[in-house]
Amino acid sequence: MEIKIEKLSKKFGDNHVLKDINLVIEKNKSTIILGKSGCGKSVLLKLIYQLIENDEGSILYDKKSFVNIDKFGMLFQYGALFDSLTIAENIAFIDFIDSRKNYRNKVINSLKEVGLSTDIYNKYPSEISGGMKKRVALARAIYKNPKVIFLDEPTTGLDPINSDMINELIIRIIRKKKMTAVTITHDIQSALKTGDNYHFLNEGIVEDSGTCKNLLKSKNKRLNDFLLGVKKLQKNK
Amino acid sequence: MQFIESIGNTALNIIRAIGKLVLFIYLFFQFIFKPRFYFKHNSKYFFEIFISSIPIIALTGIFSGMVLALQSYTGFSRFSAESAIPNIVVLTLTRELGPVLTGLMISARVGSAIAAEIATMRVTEQIDALKTLNTNYFNYLVTPRVLSLTLAMPIFVTIVDFIGVMGGYVVSVYRLGFNENMYLINTIDFLSFSDYFSGVIKATVFGFIISIISCYNGLYSEKGAFGVGSATTNAVVLSSILILVFNYFLTEIFF
Repeated sequence: MEIKIEKLSKKFGDNHVLKDINLVIEKNKSTIILGKSGCGKSVLLKLIYQLIENDEGSILYDKKSFVNIDKFGMLFQYGALFDSLTIAENIAFIDFIDSRKNYRNKVINSLKEVGLSTDIYNKYPSEISGGMKKRVALARAIYKNPKVIFLDEPTTGLDPINSDMINELIIRIIRKKKMTAVTITHDIQSALKTGDNYHFLNEGIVEDSGTCKNLLKSKNKRLNDFLLGVKKLQKNK
Repeated sequence: MQFIESIGNTALNIIRAIGKLVLFIYLFFQFIFKPRFYFKHNSKYFFEIFISSIPIIALTGIFSGMVLALQSYTGFSRFSAESAIPNIVVLTLTRELGPVLTGLMISARVGSAIAAEIATMRVTEQIDALKTLNTNYFNYLVTPRVLSLTLAMPIFVTIVDFIGVMGGYVVSVYRLGFNENMYLINTIDFLSFSDYFSGVIKATVFGFIISIISCYNGLYSEKGAFGVGSATTNAVVLSSILILVFNYFLTEIFF
């Protein structure tokens, strides 16, 4: 699915979070949204997902102004798994909530797809590790075979090994399922690894766009400052 | 000047909060006619709440009835009016103490749990996750909780009334030397259906207040551990105050 954003603006009170955003998320490509905290990345994601309404401008999904959100899947920064439900109920939430009971095989396939053992099928989120939670959340996001998957900081809170594993998983899944992916991240390594295109947001506007291959060659000063800041932070870590 | 500004800001914040709460209640009544409440998926949760509340309200009932009998005796014995104790115990419990004490205890036990759970779900993006999974979070989280507690409160109050009267009976018969048959006859003869009914109506209103205030505070909590803590505290404090205020007005109606 191609998503075209034109002159998009969003305000919260006096706070103009997004100003006149123009960008295209190409079909079956992985697009990375980069930017400092508070630059409007999450708001942009929620607007595209139709969770909140825009003040001005338009978002077109394959040239249509509305799309059923069943065509979208979302991986939240910290997983956002439902604590009171089992792993299986979390993954198959849309079937579980509709009281459909024949989701066992589908859940097992989803667990295998994200490299998890079926032993955790009846466990609760509090009984598994952070890395596993992220993979369960990814399994839930892809369970309904969405056309577009949104990934909010997919490697946050993970150690380098788990981060790498999640990145590999994301690449494999979006290629295999031919999905369009939109990722918000501060992790440059993750962006370079999983992204095809990038858009750099700064103070509510798109400062720079291009292919991830050329991300490090960009001449945009603010993007370079951002990349330098991230590198310094990673060195200090 | 700053002082006047701060008063103005506080007043505006209060008006905003009231407006948000009224809108929230309006949303509840709007969604109540949309037939998707996910009761089945919440049933385990409600069962746990119901069962875990019974011991607390039973203790509240029995000790209230026992204390009421003893204190009434202290006062009425001075006028040789001890025979009025069964009436006082049953009327005070059914009309007043039963619904108010149950309301306060349930607000502390269940209201705090509802607020903390929903606030945690908000902080950990579980409510956003519900939206992304095309689930009406209001009907999933708010409507079943409000309906269940509003309907459960009259049952709780009936239990408190019964156990409270039994507490009064035990103290009056075994401690104060009342005749057991006379005590029960006096209790039943003087109790009219309207006494019990007024308590049940109060309980229903209190159940609605506790659940709606707790869900509201949970859904609009601020982020972080502090947000969850203050949502829980606000839910208990506000619903307790509203219970006491509404109790007066309901008493005026049934006076």
